[in-house]
Amino acid sequence: MKLNPMELYNLLPKTNCRLCEPKTCMAFATKMALGDVLPDDCPPLLEEGFEKNLEKLRELVAPMQSAEETGIKLDDSKCTGCGNCVVVCPVDVAVEPETGHGKAGKSRDTVFIVENGISKIINLEKCRRFPPDRLNCRVCEQYCCTDAIEIW
Amino acid sequence: MEDIVCSGCALLCDDVAAEVKGEEISSLGLCRLGHQHLISSIKMHDAKSVVRDTGTEKTVSIGVALKKASEILLTAKRPLLYGWSHSTDETITKGIELAKSIGAAFDTTASLGLVQALIHKLHSKQLEIDLDYVRNNGEFILYWGSNPTESSHRHPSKFAVLPRGENIPEGIESRTIGVVDVRNTETMKMANHRLIIPPGADAELLDALSSDILGKSPITGDVAGISAQELLGLVRNVKKSDCTVIFYGSGLINSGNTEANLSGLQTLIESVREAGKQAFALPMATEPNIMGVTKNAVEAGDGDTLRRLVAGEFEAALIVGDDSLVELPGPAAKAFASIPLIYVGPPGGITDAKARVSIHVADSMLLGSGKMHRLDFVEVPYKQWSAHPKQPAAEFDVISRLHELVTKGLK
Ligand code: SF4
Ligand code: SF4
Ligand code: SF4
Ligand code: SF4
Repeated sequence: MKLNPMELYNLLPKTNCRLCEPKTCMAFATKMALGDVLPDDCPPLLEEGFEKNLEKLRELVAPMQSAEETGIKLDDSKCTGCGNCVVVCPVDVAVEPETGHGKAGKSRDTVFIVENGISKIINLEKCRRFPPDRLNCRVCEQYCCTDAIEIW
Repeated sequence: MEDIVCSGCALLCDDVAAEVKGEEISSLGLCRLGHQHLISSIKMHDAKSVVRDTGTEKTVSIGVALKKASEILLTAKRPLLYGWSHSTDETITKGIELAKSIGAAFDTTASLGLVQALIHKLHSKQLEIDLDYVRNNGEFILYWGSNPTESSHRHPSKFAVLPRGENIPEGIESRTIGVVDVRNTETMKMANHRLIIPPGADAELLDALSSDILGKSPITGDVAGISAQELLGLVRNVKKSDCTVIFYGSGLINSGNTEANLSGLQTLIESVREAGKQAFALPMATEPNIMGVTKNAVEAGDGDTLRRLVAGEFEAALIVGDDSLVELPGPAAKAFASIPLIYVGPPGGITDAKARVSIHVADSMLLGSGKMHRLDFVEVPYKQWSAHPKQPAAEFDVISRLHELVTKGLK
């Protein structure tokens, strides 16, 4: 699932009204493609005249908010099961603090679990890139030495 | 799931779990290597005892195989007992006893590199520290000629790079990471300092860093192809860190310049200490009990055995847990191939296929008994669990019975 910022941009008011945090429509579109902001975060879009655009945008970003469609991909064939992702993911450390000290995660409440020698994403919806947090976190990707994790 | 200890590499991870249900094998926390090791240890369907004689091969009972093995050992004027880095400490001790009883030479796979490093008095200089201390205190981590991403998968996540610890509140954010290697390695992705140096330039770089840290001769230009700016940045970070740990691997040990590299490493550690900060060096190795072998066997072991093997000194050999015909350099492998061999280990490999007597044994991870020494010399006992019910014999029992048989034969 990859959203095209240009496609999203074309549906925005394109006024650069600075009412949103990214301040410009292009920046807003780029953040929306990453799942960091939502169509509803653009106040002018909620006003009259933009109903169709708003609906279309909501449709486009919907898959990113659901648990099945993801902004993170984990390539089994590249994964060594090193556990770096388990140990750095802030969610994992919050729900199973021992992982933050390097221990293997076993609770099944974490985002990642290393099972049968490779890491699996078992609770994607907890990833902080997704609502409600929508943070621009990518530390798991950053410390996956074999590039098995890809975030977009 | 039951708690187990992994024998897949020298990290001997003890925070992992596994379960066997019929043909289905599952694990939690084991890295790819560990899980594969678990599977291959369990699926030893072809485990057996074999005696080969003048072109014929017979599957025999373990008693018959042991009898034959004891005959070979007793007939040979001077046998060599070799391997052992996959064996538990208890088995190694038994092996040393066996060697003493029959006047055999005893040597281990560690003599190829790691032991060289350790007998270089690094050990007696107290350069080491345990990995839990590294997790809690290691602020500057330097992988030198070692690539954990390739061979000790969980080393960065469990101990050295990513975990939080007492004085490392933010994990990786509280540490600085450096990697020195002759090529770009995957581990470098995590590093703040990435130093790619030409092969053989280690000693030069180590010396330059020590001299700068001690203020003897500051770095002013390129060293080993690395700019002064980069090197000074690294030195600054080392000096800033309360605790520096260098993990040195085969790149430093087996690059042909071992002696100079290791004394350079020692000097660097001492220089950082003189500058008022903690510094340690720890070896990186893969075979699970390379440290147990080092600890138990260095005194008991004979030096220089491979050269003596090539010179034809040994008339027979017992090879334990090593595919020496494949792993050893050509002349040594050839010399082994030309004498009667007894192989004790997991099924598979050329040594197993060529040996006069082959006795397959179960992996310690499954047996859950005995102990090994982790990379940092910490003793790790195996944990009992209900692995696969059908396992071949325990290596410890095989070596013990062999010892009994030769002792009887000597009388
Ligand atoms: S609030 Fe909407 S219209 Fe205004 S700058 Fe942001 S995206 Fe553009
Ligand atoms: S960090 Fe990458 S290689 Fe390591 S376990 Fe996670 S996905 Fe696999
Ligand atoms: S992006 Fe951040 S929160 Fe999401 S899985 Fe990766 S480390 Fe965890
Ligand atoms: S790092 Fe080594 S000991 Fe730990 S699970 Fe992997 S192979 Fe086993």
